[in-house]
This record gives sequence, structure tokens and C-alpha cells, in this order.
Amino acid sequence: MSPFVNRLNTLVTFAVLLLAILCAGASFLDCFHSPAVQANVEVLKVNRFRRQLTGNDEVLLTLNMSIDLQSAFSWNTKQVFVFIAAEYETEKNAFNQISLWDLVISDKHHAKFETQVTSKYLLIDQGSNLRGKRVDLVLHWHAMPITGRMILGKIPVSSFQLPKAYT
Amino acid sequence: MDWQGQKLSEMLMQVMLVAFAVGAFGTGYALGSFQTMLLVYAGGVVLTTLVTVPNWPFYNRHPLKWLDPAEAERHPRPKPQPAAPSKKKPVKSHQK
Repeated sequence: MSPFVNRLNTLVTFAVLLLAILCAGASFLDCFHSPAVQANVEVLKVNRFRRQLTGNDEVLLTLNMSIDLQSAFSWNTKQVFVFIAAEYETEKNAFNQISLWDLVISDKHHAKFETQVTSKYLLIDQGSNLRGKRVDLVLHWHAMPITGRMILGKIPVSSFQLPKAYT
Repeated sequence: MDWQGQKLSEMLMQVMLVAFAVGAFGTGYALGSFQTMLLVYAGGVVLTTLVTVPNWPFYNRHPLKWLDPAEAERHPRPKPQPAAPSKKKPVKSHQK
């Protein structure tokens, strides 16, 4: 190798090594970043509550939400995936968690919003246990950084009770 | 490049790259933009390449003193001696 290529090789290797250290440092700083998320999600009405032919219960809801996830964004955040989960327990399963609605937020400015929307996904039970059941709504978010480990977080928002009979 | 020049080039390369890395990290963090950090660092790497890799004249300020050709002829290279006959039985035969 000529000295020119030698020097170029050394430089590129060292530059890439420093880049790796920079990314590790940026990722490490995220440990000290604690988000203060505010959210309020409640069920406006139960659109449909019936039993499927397979024997499973099925619910369609309208949700009213106002969410502020701006503090979950740091300089090292690529996007935040947020979803609302309905959590409850039955005799068959100690813990059921079903995602009702989700969204990908790529920008800090889009992270604060209010909306009323029908649930994207149906709340389908394994069995027929939902009549009169108390269900908790929990807001989960996954913050995906540009470099580093994914950060998970959640806050419980509200709970509601399903009607005792099918509608 | 001469030896002093190579030493200078290597030292400059390390100092400049580390300085740009630290500077880029600070700038990116202060401005809250990961992209800024990468752009500043990339600019720094390009600048360092331009300064340290090509053979600039200021790296050649202590040039090596090669022997003058007329002087070299007065001291010819010694001729190789014929191999002395070996007392032991040769185990392998050497190929020249």
C-alpha cells in the first residue's frame, strides 16, 4: 500500500470508530430523558356488541382522545408508535390485552392532538366473557430512537363497563 | 512526505477528528438535531482528509538525505561469497 492509501485507510477507520462512539453517546444520553406524557382517552359509546358465529364476543367502540406525547420525543427519536390497549381479566386468561387503535408519529409537532374516532380494531374476546365486564384502557407508546434501544412506556387512562346484554 | 511529516500528519488527523467529533456532538445536542451532528461531523471528516492525506509541501520540510550517486560508486556493494562446503550431510537441498 502506498503511504497515501495507508493514510486514507487509517483516517476512514478512525472516523468510523468515532462515529460509532458518537451514536453510542447519543443513545446513552437518552437514559436521562424521562417523558411526561399526558393523555385522556374515554369510550364515548359502544357501537356494536355481539357474539360472533365462532362463539367469541365482539365489540366496536367510539373513542374520544386527547393525547400529548411531545415530551416522548428527544433529539435521538425517529418515530413514536402509540396504541391504546383494552385490558381485562377472564376466567380463562388472567390477563387479556387487545389493541384497539394505533398510530405512528414521526414528528414532534404531530404528537399533540385531539380526536374522536371509532376503534381501528375490534375488541374480540377468546370466548364469551365480555357481558358486564369492567375493561381498563391503557395508552402504550414505543419510542424508536435513531440509534439505540427502543423505549417503552404506558399510562392507564380510563376504564369502562360493557353492557350486560348484547346490543 | 518525510518522517517528520508523517508524524505531523498522523497527529493532526487524530486531533482534528476527535475535535470535530466532540464539536459535532455538542452542536447537535444544543440544537436538538441528530442530523446537524452528522452533517458537522461529515464536514469535519472531509476537511481532515483534505489536510492530512495528500502530500502537501509542508510535510516535506525535513527531507531525507539520500547518498550522492558519485559517492555511492566509490563503495560498491560487496559480492555474495560462494557457499562453503558443509561438513554435515545436507538434510534438504536449497534452491536459489
